[in-house]
Amino acid sequence: MSALLSPEDLKRQALANVQDATESNAENPALTALRDSSLAALKAAVFPGRKTEQWKYTSLQPLADGHLNRRAAAAATPADLPELGDYRLVLVNGRLDESSSALPDGVTLKREASRLEGLTTPFALYNGAALDDAITLEVAANTDVAGTVQVIHYADGDQPAHCNTRLEVVLGTGSRMTLIEQYLGRGPVLTNAVTAIETRDNAHLSHYRLQSEARDSLHIGTLLLRQSGVSRIDSYQLMAGNRLRRNDVRAFIDKSGAELNMNGIFVARDRTHIDNQLCVEHRVPDCTSNQVYRGLAGEKGKAILNGRIHIHPGASGTLAELSNKNLLLNPGAEIYTKPELEIYNDDVKCAHGATVGQLDAGQQFYLQARGVPLAEAKRMLSLGFVNELVMGLPDQTVADWAQPWLAGELGQSRGADEEAA
Amino acid sequence: MSTQAELDKVISSEYEAGFTTLVESDTLPPGLNEDVIRVISAKKGEPEWLLEWRLDAYRNWLEMAEPNWAHVTYPPVDLNAISYYSAPKSMEDRPQSLDEVDPELLDTYKKLGIPLHEQEMLAGVAVDAVFDSVSVGTTFKAKLAEAGVIFCSISEAVHEHPELVKKYLGSVVPKGDNFFAGLNSAVFTDGSFVYIPKGVRCPMELSTYFRINEANTGQFERTLIVADEGSYVSYLEGCTAPQRDENQLHAAVVELVALPGAEIKYSTVQNWYPGDKDGKGGIYNFVTKRGVAHDNAKISWTQVETGSAITWKYPSVVLRGDNSVGEFYSVALTRHAQQADTGTKMIHLGKNTRSTIVSKGISAGKSSNAYRGLVRMGPRAENARNFTQCDSLLLGDTCGAHTFPYIESKHPSATIEHEATTSKVSDDQLFLCRQRGIDPEKAISMIVNGFCKEVFKELPMEFAVEAGKLLEVSLEGAVG
Repeated sequence: MSALLSPEDLKRQALANVQDATESNAENPALTALRDSSLAALKAAVFPGRKTEQWKYTSLQPLADGHLNRRAAAAATPADLPELGDYRLVLVNGRLDESSSALPDGVTLKREASRLEGLTTPFALYNGAALDDAITLEVAANTDVAGTVQVIHYADGDQPAHCNTRLEVVLGTGSRMTLIEQYLGRGPVLTNAVTAIETRDNAHLSHYRLQSEARDSLHIGTLLLRQSGVSRIDSYQLMAGNRLRRNDVRAFIDKSGAELNMNGIFVARDRTHIDNQLCVEHRVPDCTSNQVYRGLAGEKGKAILNGRIHIHPGASGTLAELSNKNLLLNPGAEIYTKPELEIYNDDVKCAHGATVGQLDAGQQFYLQARGVPLAEAKRMLSLGFVNELVMGLPDQTVADWAQPWLAGELGQSRGADEEAA
Repeated sequence: MSTQAELDKVISSEYEAGFTTLVESDTLPPGLNEDVIRVISAKKGEPEWLLEWRLDAYRNWLEMAEPNWAHVTYPPVDLNAISYYSAPKSMEDRPQSLDEVDPELLDTYKKLGIPLHEQEMLAGVAVDAVFDSVSVGTTFKAKLAEAGVIFCSISEAVHEHPELVKKYLGSVVPKGDNFFAGLNSAVFTDGSFVYIPKGVRCPMELSTYFRINEANTGQFERTLIVADEGSYVSYLEGCTAPQRDENQLHAAVVELVALPGAEIKYSTVQNWYPGDKDGKGGIYNFVTKRGVAHDNAKISWTQVETGSAITWKYPSVVLRGDNSVGEFYSVALTRHAQQADTGTKMIHLGKNTRSTIVSKGISAGKSSNAYRGLVRMGPRAENARNFTQCDSLLLGDTCGAHTFPYIESKHPSATIEHEATTSKVSDDQLFLCRQRGIDPEKAISMIVNGFCKEVFKELPMEFAVEAGKLLEVSLEGAVG
């Protein structure tokens, strides 16, 4: 098997790519400044190893197959991509396919990206340093975007390789938009993704993040939310496990009166892996954040959630909540959850709750007694566990896509159910 | 209703147990090397195996790095500026009874309001008082001996019960466990040893009062409690220390072994000098406490932490045996510039193991109070259960309260629940009390006591009274 991979190896591999890339890539001068500053920061960055606290439960050993050594080559857009939005942008291996992309009025697209506060992890820095392409969507002030916008990030390759994909969205004052971000792919490719969203005063964003690349794929992604205005973000995240999935979600709530809602469902079955690192930063008074996450793990799958709520000094009047419930489906699967609170103010209301448990034996028996086979009973009950969130998806097209997708994720017969009585 | 001035008044109250006892000491020059360890071992007349054990721990420790993951900041401790041995002079001819004990020493306890004589009578508490590093007076030995209970200093145990010490020392907290436990293993000077024979219910509550007295002397106690099959013991640990300006390191190790069917209840009231209101001085309390519960055994930790500049402490239970039970009840109060990173670990290995964690954190002033806990369900922990509740109460808008609960599950039938809330003393509660003629200081004290009630009710009687008083002293009148 592959040799042990040290943080230094990772850094060396990443840096080797970037030095080549800067020379060969003059096609998008708008990205040069970002690439240079990211590269400088990357040189000083330390890649995570086994002892890094934030990577306690996630090993980067799958990268020993050499994903960071090769960039995924440009590929054609597959014909059968799902259509969940009224307008669609497609990025294949990080590059925009203009021919299959369209945008509604009031939204402008630029092929650029900027250096942002909060993008500090080595992988996010590498993303900035190695970008071939990037898109920034700007929603004009006071625009209620007609129709939903779907952005597909497609990763394609036959060999271990990686791609960097980047999306930035700015919602102008008084604007509204529904954004559906979808990650799909084929083959053992590492998607190194960065999505950064900023909302100004009175903006309202409904954001969907759907991640279901190939099972042998890898995904290391950062979602950065910044509420620079009194705005509202509703984010819905649906994630399937793959060989390695790591999501860093960081939200900065920077204007009093802003509201953030994040909901997520993550399913790690069949030896797959999902690591969610959430951090909500309340930096100003009188803001609200609400997070509800449901996790399932089965058949040696590993699901991790670290949810931090950070109330900065002076952020009085904050209401912040996090709930994380998890279901462990069979022996051998693992769940790790750590809801953190870091509070520097007494005039706040914060609560978090986390549970880990199994399907109720009584409920299973009830269904079996009525002739439902055990595997089907388990699937029904697992669906019931996440149903509250699925039912809460406001966009009907996404909900219609999510239900069969989840049923498939939860219901595939996988041998381990044979331990039935 | 809630005024900063009233809050400040409470926070600025002085440490009540601060004074220094002038007793001549036989102290080693500062510094740590293998020779120092040999001297400590020789002074105590230890057998060869224990010296080897210490040296082994020391060599191992040299390779280790000080942990930096806790949510605390402090200047690095110069371990070479510490003297690793200090014994009261009168050690050579040890007093035969309490009457012969250095009167000034006894006076120390009197100032703290816990005179030994009174305690002997009060509820039959046997006291093994640790003054600096060597046990000075041990009481109620005869009564305990009747029941077959061994309660002595660990140095005595090394001589009188070497087979027990050799078997269990380091069996729960291995000498290479962590940086501070490693250091303790190399240089520990004294502490208590308890052995409860099979099926014996210890006739009284055992108690040790620790005091750090000699300036610049880190205390490295080592406590070992072994409860044999089906036995029961309740152990009380309480600490206060004189006021002084240099940081004193305290790196103790407590090991509990609960053999099948045994129960150990370990209660702590910790009120060491927390430093002045800017955080100058004060004790660094870096303690490793852990117990192993075998089949059907139960270990219960209860702690009230109000002192120390820095607290770094995670009393843990390894639930090794089937049907074993672990409990952790904690009240941690920080004020001024105190920092606490404390919590527990419940490692569920056996089937049907259960654990309960109730943690109450109160922070005031510029202090920082963190709960850090681990609940781990191993792959064989069938039907294991855990319930965790950690609540924080903030007094003022300059303090910090944090929660870092690690939850790990590897068994589908294990159930883990974790809840945490953060609140302040509400204006409504205060208004209600004041309307009824209760002054704000008293009202706060009542509310905080109510907040901590769940934990206080787990404390033995004497301690519950002391703990309530301690909180009152620290907090009376704090208006949030």
